[in-house]
Amino acid sequence: MTDERAPAKGDLVGPATTSATARLKALALKSGATVVGVADAAAFDTHAPSKHRPADLLPGARTVVVVGGAQPRAGDWVATSPWLLSTMGTTERIQGVGRRIAQAIESELGYYALFVPPGTAAGDAPFLSLMLAAELAGLGTRSLAGPILNRDHGFMYWSAVVTTAPFDVDGPTTDAACPAPACRDMWEREHTTPCLRVCPLDAGGCLAGRLDDGHAVRTAYDAARCNTRVHTHWVGGFQKVLEETLNEPDRERRKMLVYGDFMTRTLWSITYSSTNIAQCFECMRACPAAHGLKEMR
Amino acid sequence: MATDGVVDAVKRVGLAAGARVVGVAAAAAFRAGVPEGFRPEDILPGARSVVVAGGDGPTAGAWRCPDHRVMEITGYDLRENVAIHAMCDYIERELGYYAVQAPSLPVHGHEPPMSMMHAAELAGLGTRSFAAHIILNPEYGLLYYAALITTLPLPADPPLAEPACPHPGCAAMYKRIGTTPCLRVCPACLSGTMKNARIETSTYDREKCHSRAQTYGIGSFQKALLAVVDEDDPARRRDMIHSDFFAKSVQSLGFFRDSIAQCFECMRVCPVGRKHRKLK
Amino acid sequence: MTFFRLDPELYARHKDEILTLSNSFQRIDRRGLSDREIAERLGLDERTVTEIRVIAERDCYALDEWQRAIDFKRKACSDWAAAALKRPDLREP
Repeated sequence: MTDERAPAKGDLVGPATTSATARLKALALKSGATVVGVADAAAFDTHAPSKHRPADLLPGARTVVVVGGAQPRAGDWVATSPWLLSTMGTTERIQGVGRRIAQAIESELGYYALFVPPGTAAGDAPFLSLMLAAELAGLGTRSLAGPILNRDHGFMYWSAVVTTAPFDVDGPTTDAACPAPACRDMWEREHTTPCLRVCPLDAGGCLAGRLDDGHAVRTAYDAARCNTRVHTHWVGGFQKVLEETLNEPDRERRKMLVYGDFMTRTLWSITYSSTNIAQCFECMRACPAAHGLKEMR
Repeated sequence: MATDGVVDAVKRVGLAAGARVVGVAAAAAFRAGVPEGFRPEDILPGARSVVVAGGDGPTAGAWRCPDHRVMEITGYDLRENVAIHAMCDYIERELGYYAVQAPSLPVHGHEPPMSMMHAAELAGLGTRSFAAHIILNPEYGLLYYAALITTLPLPADPPLAEPACPHPGCAAMYKRIGTTPCLRVCPACLSGTMKNARIETSTYDREKCHSRAQTYGIGSFQKALLAVVDEDDPARRRDMIHSDFFAKSVQSLGFFRDSIAQCFECMRVCPVGRKHRKLK
Repeated sequence: MTFFRLDPELYARHKDEILTLSNSFQRIDRRGLSDREIAERLGLDERTVTEIRVIAERDCYALDEWQRAIDFKRKACSDWAAAALKRPDLREP
């Protein structure tokens, strides 16, 4: 049996690797990524559960190319309509970049490349954590609220490509965007931060945590509740209303449920899924580190 | 106020990204005809301008197909939305003003947060027609519209002085026989009168039209689901679940891009823009 | 706060009027009212008006109308093709 990771004829080595890595990154940026990095596939092993590591998806995987971008615009964050971010999502724009990179790796370099589907393998479990991939590729760090924040661009959407190509690896960054200076000040004054205040676990929200010596420590996160907010009108909501409908003995009350606003909106979200993929942004809206550094007029 | 050079640059970005037409409306212009809560300023604080992009619908070849089902699922590439994103990116990255894609997906029943039709009118891209009050561009006829809202102050394009509808041919037809091609083909959804070659009255039954324009979609899924849930007989329930109608309804949810609009009969007979559908 | 459920009697009482005031049956010379405007006019809360309107939009026509839509399009399209493409063989019998 051959070692799937052993170099073969035509493999990238030395300067050729560096050059190929640089070219791939240039392609990613030209294709629309805001940031691009490379993670060592083996680095996932200590963090990701079995069956959700790069080599589980692509035997022989050496690296994971991660792109970030398609983030909400400055205008999206300041918009006062609750429907803007929840119906005009742009995450799909970064998926196309990921697919293009996968195709380029295979066609131009001759290595296997697997675009990580952004959906779930089963239930709510992804095939590979794109957040972990972004961390390990040095593109950001976890925030108190949960999402990975990039130092310069804040909150972003991610796409990843697992590959047997031995690209040069970027290590995780230690320069954390969270907590932002404003949040440190707020903690000193009020013992809370913007994200904790907008969605506190002890008041029916999703988050609990603290700042310890300038570091964000998340002590609790109610993922199931967060799901009802991020995916209010989604598969779970559809299942809930369907169950209520089937359990309702009165025909007229059944009609109220099936034709009602919640079911209708949920079906729209499922149908126009690509732009309705995330429906709550309040922790990120309040976060001073989530919106990138550029001021707008 | 931005210079003509700036507005031309923004429009060029949109046209290069695939829009067929691009126009600008002042955000304040929406106040007259739009209820509170649905205006650009209700969506983006400080909104000054609305840039509207119109994109092509079905190809000329699709219009000629004798099987209506083809156009039911031919879908679109939604280039007008791509153009809007390109212009939003340009406005924020290069010009430093806030820009958002105007939310247009219905969020409560048939109600969108902002009307793309009205935006197209105000941006001088078309006028309302007898046919479902569809906005007709005088050159291209039926186009699909998307918009962005921005704090960038742009000189607005004026609404069109001359309506695209009725077409002179339709005015002549009305004079002869008291109807127009669209009114004649779909009296179930449309009615109207003409006076002095102008629309005098026009009504549109949107709910009936919905059963035609979205035969297989969210609405049909809900209708069929309720019928299934209310059916006590397991054998009949099974037949309903496995019926072609229910299957197509579920399919249209999954392949939404292909099922956006499913009835074109009023537009098929409309002469506005038809010259662009005469090919070899 | 519990899941919002509309009382069918309330729905039956107001559905026709709300649909008439909304954008369901349009006239080119005037716009329909928003849910908020309808609520103010009828003395209801906006959330209830929204729920009634959304249900009424779907409830307006029976499922039979969808079959009529399928039949209409099939005939209209083939009739047009027969005339415009000068192909009488395409006309539905």
